Amino acid sequence: MFTYMQNLARIARGDYTLLPRLAVYYVTMQCNLNCAYCEDFGSRRNHLVTPNPTLENAQKILKVIRTGVDRLWLTGGEPLMHPQICGLLEYARNELKFREISLITNGTLLSQKQDSLAYIDRLIISLDSIDPQTLNVVSVPDAYAEIVIANAREAASLQKKYNFKLILNAVVTPETLHGMDTLIAFCKESKAQISFSPQSVNNLPRYELVTSAEYRAFIEKLIRLKKHGAPILGSLSYFKTLVDQTPYQCYPTLVPRIMPDGWLAYPCRPMEKAGGEQGGRAVNLLSVETWEEAWNIAKEKYGGAPTSCVSCFQQCYAEPSLMQAHPIEYLSERLRGNNVSAYAPG
Amino acid sequence: MNTDKQDVVVIGGGIAGLSAVLHLAERGLKPLILEADEKFIGGRLAGGETVQIGEYSFRLEHGVHGIWSQYRNLQAMLARHNLRPVFVPAQEENWIYKAGKFVGMAAVGSAIRRSFVPAPLHYLQLFLRGKFLWMLDIRDWASLFNVWAGLIMAVGIDPFAEGQPMEGMTLGELTKKWSPALKALFLGLARNGLSSHPDEVSMSGFIAFLRFYTLLRRDAWMFSYLPEDGGTSVCEPLAAKVTELGGRIRLGSRVKRVVQVGDEWQVTWDGANGEELACARQIILATDPNNAKKILGASVDGVDEMFFPRALSNAVIRLWFDVKPKKNAEAGIFTGDFIIHNYFWLDRIYNPFRRWARETNGSALEVHVYGPPETLAQPDAVLLTQAIKDVEQAFPELRGHRIGQHLQRNPETHTLPAVGPKDKYLGIETQWQNLFCAGDWVRHPAPSFFLERACMTGIEAANAVLASRGLQTWALIDYLPAEPFVAWIEKLMKAGRQRRRRKKTA
Repeated sequence: MFTYMQNLARIARGDYTLLPRLAVYYVTMQCNLNCAYCEDFGSRRNHLVTPNPTLENAQKILKVIRTGVDRLWLTGGEPLMHPQICGLLEYARNELKFREISLITNGTLLSQKQDSLAYIDRLIISLDSIDPQTLNVVSVPDAYAEIVIANAREAASLQKKYNFKLILNAVVTPETLHGMDTLIAFCKESKAQISFSPQSVNNLPRYELVTSAEYRAFIEKLIRLKKHGAPILGSLSYFKTLVDQTPYQCYPTLVPRIMPDGWLAYPCRPMEKAGGEQGGRAVNLLSVETWEEAWNIAKEKYGGAPTSCVSCFQQCYAEPSLMQAHPIEYLSERLRGNNVSAYAPG
Repeated sequence: MNTDKQDVVVIGGGIAGLSAVLHLAERGLKPLILEADEKFIGGRLAGGETVQIGEYSFRLEHGVHGIWSQYRNLQAMLARHNLRPVFVPAQEENWIYKAGKFVGMAAVGSAIRRSFVPAPLHYLQLFLRGKFLWMLDIRDWASLFNVWAGLIMAVGIDPFAEGQPMEGMTLGELTKKWSPALKALFLGLARNGLSSHPDEVSMSGFIAFLRFYTLLRRDAWMFSYLPEDGGTSVCEPLAAKVTELGGRIRLGSRVKRVVQVGDEWQVTWDGANGEELACARQIILATDPNNAKKILGASVDGVDEMFFPRALSNAVIRLWFDVKPKKNAEAGIFTGDFIIHNYFWLDRIYNPFRRWARETNGSALEVHVYGPPETLAQPDAVLLTQAIKDVEQAFPELRGHRIGQHLQRNPETHTLPAVGPKDKYLGIETQWQNLFCAGDWVRHPAPSFFLERACMTGIEAANAVLASRGLQTWALIDYLPAEPFVAWIEKLMKAGRQRRRRKKTA
């Protein structure tokens, strides 16, 4: 809340380089699934991506992150494929004392790495359907589909024991759209929350979705369900944005990304990936002591981060940007009891 | 003379033609695209030759940089094929105003798109900016009502959807009673958007422009820049995709006429091998309006009586400096007594320029001159000297630091949007069976402009061909509706107009 207010004050004085609300650390780029819609990782790319960091290096990276941010998302690839993930989470929780730790996983390895649940506040399982056949369509093989669904059920039952919240994150594709009602029902029954992201192609929601009446009707339904208390994560602003793909001003500095080997994706992942003059891997956190130092080096190299951007449409940037830009909406969400600081992961 | 049998022939390889061909090729047709330019595909968005500044070379182009958030179909088309580059976000646009010896500069872009006041009152946010107020004098305050009335009139009329030509009315006429600074601001905006002198801008074109780009939604004024010239960023990858899908592209093919023979069209053009001929069941005319008129005029009767929006020329001047200007917006408009009309700091937009600026600490400015015709008629050296003088007045810190310059004159291909009488104004489907039109000048009720209109009408023309062949057509992405308050005003004004019409009829 304090950072949110600080950012509001910055906006009021015309400074749109906002403080980070959380940091996303890609603890590994390796993945054991091959989801058709994944534009970044997947087992088909495992031989191309950066090797896993050692525990020591990963700890050093988190230490630097902690000097500037108190909320952490660990993601991948598949983060549970990192051999020392439990040790890293323990370090983040007990030594660095992050205020909130979220783990984003595909759920396949959960039963083998159950210890990790003791150190996290939110477990986010990417699950697009609870129908194995539908999961097959988005490239989750049969064997894994059954495992993921079983693990999600088990994780739901472990929420009290390990004191974490379970969130399912579903990518809405033309293929998965029809099964979303069952998924919502599953969340209600499991006392889990759910978040939705439209499938993105080339940084925009997929054409077949945005031209589909069913997709639009589905998002409108989500808004209604959310208003009636369904456990759907994400602000109403976000869902309204999804209905028409209304442009929103993205403040990329709110959600910085760090690659496994410590490189800061500056100013945001899409610009870093583009490899142009706007951004890139400007600084390695292993070579600095503080977050501020890292940010200054990146700024020196690529110039200030954009103060707002409409170049892409990605959920993980949309939600925090929308909430920061619409304080009244933010307040009304909070009054309704929604924790809008708990962004829907993308 | 070779005769070639084609599925569909598309005349013109700009965004309209490329969009049409892409959507046809995706449905399994093998269309042929004929582009007059000998080297570069893309029409007004094409890349061009390079110019050398020291050890660095920079690619020239026509001067289209902005991709607006409202360019929804264009962006969706590119994204669907993974061709949409990561754009450079627009941060701020300056308004530079010169009246006699006074030169003022104010940031206006972010105030409009970030305004907390709902449309159409969002411009009021400008009045909270000291530098903007500094540009105004007592006459501007006295004229506020006139300006406001003009803007509100634009809310009540949708020229494209209503097919409302507003014949005989021009932007110059509308703004005659406006005060100097506010007039300069809006004329500046119109000149930039519509690439022409206000007396040449039809009221219908201006109103439609204002509605699409800013009046109905605050976020309509959100945009980004291409990361490199249009050819490299968009047109050449798009053309490669067309070819990959089975479309054929013939550069250097200037179409002369199209003749209907039985149920086929014969297209004749001058190509590398002399006069060539192809036959196709359907053709799509996707050139600029001047060329469309010329081709049709040589082919069918009655073209002289038809309405074609005008197309205008302009000049694009690039200047390189060995220093950077003081802190400044990356783009903006020049108004008042300047001869130049808008500017872009390319070293803050385009990758090759940014790289060069990083390595040399230099800066590069692009300015556009849209007219009037007598200004454009001046010799290159005179036009260049005047433009440099203007730039140095606005950015005095750059005096004595120029290390390179280039002037490019664009041909009369830039559409000056206007709405014509429905019976004389060509739409996607024409009175000639199986001859379709596409381009930013074509009649269509959608509110879109320029690149987006070219893309959207290109898709619609492809749809017309596909439908006639019983193939699946492509869905278009809708444009965003007006914000609630302005939508309510619009509704009231339309109801008022209807009442007045009913009274008149009674």
